[in-house]
Amino acid sequence: MKIISSYLSKTQESSSLALFRLGFGFLMTFSIVRFWLKGWIKTMYIDPSFHFTFYGFEWVKPVGEYTYILFFICGLSAFLVAIGYKYYIAIITFFLSFTYIELMDKTTYLNHYYFVSILSFLMIFLPCNSSYSIDSFIKKKSFKYSPKWCVDSIKTLLFIVYFYSGLAKINRDWLFEAQPLKIWLATGSYDLPIIGSTLMQQEWFHYFMSWGGMFYDLLIPFILLYKPTRIIGFSLVVFFHVFTAVLFPIGMFPYIMIISTIIFFSSNTHEKILKFILKPFKNTIKKTIEIDNIKIKKNKFAISLISLFFVVQFLFPFRYAIYPGELFWNEEGYRFSWRVMLMEKRGYTTFKVVDNSNGNSFFVRNDEFLTEFQERQMSFQPDFILEYAHFLGDHYNNKGLNDIEIYAESYVALNGRINKRFVNPKIDLLKEKRGFNSKHWIIDLNEEINYL
Amino acid sequence: MGLTPTVFYFCAMKNLFNFIITSCIIFSFISCSSDSDEDIDQIPQFDRSSILKNYADNIIIPRYSDFQSEVLKLKSDIENFTKEPNTINYDKAHNSWFETYKKWQHVEMFNIGKAEQIMYLNTINTYPVDELRINNNINSKKLDLSNENDWSCQGLSGIDFMLHGVEGTKEEIIEKYLTDPNYSDYLNNLIEIISNNTNTIVEDWTTNYKDTFIQSSGNSNSSSLNMLTNDFVYYFEKGLRTNKIGIPVGYFSGGNTLAEKVETYYSSKNSIQNVSRDLAAEALIASENLFIGKSSSGSTGPSLKSYLDYLYSSNVNENNLSPIILNNFQKAKIAINELDENFIYQINNDKSKMLNAFDKLQSIVVNMKTDMLSILSIQVDYIDADGD
Repeated sequence: MKIISSYLSKTQESSSLALFRLGFGFLMTFSIVRFWLKGWIKTMYIDPSFHFTFYGFEWVKPVGEYTYILFFICGLSAFLVAIGYKYYIAIITFFLSFTYIELMDKTTYLNHYYFVSILSFLMIFLPCNSSYSIDSFIKKKSFKYSPKWCVDSIKTLLFIVYFYSGLAKINRDWLFEAQPLKIWLATGSYDLPIIGSTLMQQEWFHYFMSWGGMFYDLLIPFILLYKPTRIIGFSLVVFFHVFTAVLFPIGMFPYIMIISTIIFFSSNTHEKILKFILKPFKNTIKKTIEIDNIKIKKNKFAISLISLFFVVQFLFPFRYAIYPGELFWNEEGYRFSWRVMLMEKRGYTTFKVVDNSNGNSFFVRNDEFLTEFQERQMSFQPDFILEYAHFLGDHYNNKGLNDIEIYAESYVALNGRINKRFVNPKIDLLKEKRGFNSKHWIIDLNEEINYL
Repeated sequence: MGLTPTVFYFCAMKNLFNFIITSCIIFSFISCSSDSDEDIDQIPQFDRSSILKNYADNIIIPRYSDFQSEVLKLKSDIENFTKEPNTINYDKAHNSWFETYKKWQHVEMFNIGKAEQIMYLNTINTYPVDELRINNNINSKKLDLSNENDWSCQGLSGIDFMLHGVEGTKEEIIEKYLTDPNYSDYLNNLIEIISNNTNTIVEDWTTNYKDTFIQSSGNSNSSSLNMLTNDFVYYFEKGLRTNKIGIPVGYFSGGNTLAEKVETYYSSKNSIQNVSRDLAAEALIASENLFIGKSSSGSTGPSLKSYLDYLYSSNVNENNLSPIILNNFQKAKIAINELDENFIYQINNDKSKMLNAFDKLQSIVVNMKTDMLSILSIQVDYIDADGD
């Protein structure tokens, strides 16, 4: 107990949180603007007539043209977080609006969106505005120190992201087949000048990248935590993420990670960076009175909540263990677990509607209901297949076909294997309930890929 | 003021590009020196632009030229027929129409470049045609058919209606052209539009598009190989499998067959000539030719097949895909050849054979969309979205 309470009372310069807030806020503002300018709000949230929801969050749906307002609120709150103006309202608004956006349609699910969601949740409890913020300029006082656990909690979250994505790479395909990197480097990276048609075609290089990637993910948090290796660690972070940004269409993720890992440097360094960036505002900053410590209010609640949060974060990725079958094939417990870039998976899935009243049957044209992007994601992910089958059931019920059964004709190819039938064609999907129960209607891969 | 290490790295990030290039050069230098040079020579490099070159030089452009000359012949035969509507001229026009339609099966899949811009495919082979709208167009002497509602009123499918469907028998049809000049005008206008559009496309391919096409050999969504492969798969699934077989046999419509939606419906319906099976068979051969890189003269060159073979031989994937796909092509050919020449007859009398042909085509679609596209890292859609 003593150790814990003395740890909790340890402090660290507030500049670390301030710089993190600044980096995160501006990066998020940029992300939202970028998403908007690419026209994705329309193509991903407004155009589709049907949306794939997360189980339990079916009520979270795009709100038509108002979805633009939602994105505006999200972008604005990110900007307010960055400048530290009305920080708590801003970060709560950001967390809620961003999470709402991500829950609207799971077609767009990405691990780094989940990362942004839970990170912004964490930031609600961190006094990131205690220095170098508009809030502190207005009050004319800033706090030189804030609790050390605040910075540590961000580091812990980053530790989880890297370490767990490293653990996820310990699987047969990744290590012993160099899949899916083999495919992505050989054919997907053909564009790169010089190395695209040479290095990227070498089999040893595919293995080198696979094993290197695994060790990188597992070790980088330690390399960053240990002071003597920190600079090497950060250069590795920059090199690795820039390299992946060039190779793969992974959007903002590399930049989010590069900016986030700056948190591992000392507060002293953070202070210097802030002074450098904020040079034009030097005089304003001088006018604020610096107070030695932050008045920590009764934060027992925050600390217990954050502890619980981390317990969940540490355990949640292992939930797949309670499901039978191969994780990579069945994808039960696959999401929210830092499994990134592990699969080249394609599917072809169509649905047969049998009308019991007259024995007739017909196949559904997916393009009547789904965008191509949605169809692509639906075709190989079991929970999408089931949700869509139920949607089709409701659709045809409403059209007066009351006694129907729906069967899936589904084929999936995973990591260079030839396609294999995916869904048991004899199972009426309308009789299968959505939920967290195991999906027995998936035909086993009969191979073990996942190790841990 | 000394630069802290962090600031130093910020500066490095500003020069991101230099940073990457330098790193990559160092990287490849290390890898080359650690590995003997022979190793690198042993793995043959696959030149993707060689596929594009073969496709452009030996398939796309020659096939378009073939189509173009047939269109010209059809044009003069239609002119003769409308000038002097009689049985001989009618038969000539009909035969040219059939030959042109056959050649069309070899180019429909190339919905790329100019063809995509001017909606070439839609203006030539949208069926079933809109009889009511065509009749309105004829009577109102409408010549501008650029509105998308007029796609179903023109093209080779439109000519099918004009030559075979305006009345119930050949004699009555000829009679129609003798008495109502509006029909002649409309028919001449249809072939005029096809001819003009085809000339535009052939000219674009032969003058500037060919080089652009061949040079864009990368793997972005807008590169030629990705677009062409997407078009090919899309054509095979929608243009061939769904339109020619799936929709008419009622695959998507609750067991209700829709025989009136077959390609070249009027020619079969009014017993002029049964050609729908021949066209489907031709389309399948055209698809196989593209897959294996076979030109009209019978020679083969670099193709999707040889790319897949190369990837398999470099251990990129477990199974050799091309024999599997070719085997499925064989099965599909057999299934289509078992069909009656007249699809309306086949659908109304024994639709199980049509369904069988559909299934055989379907298995090729599955091969292409799951196995082939994944090994080639080609996204099946044009949506650019982030991945992770």
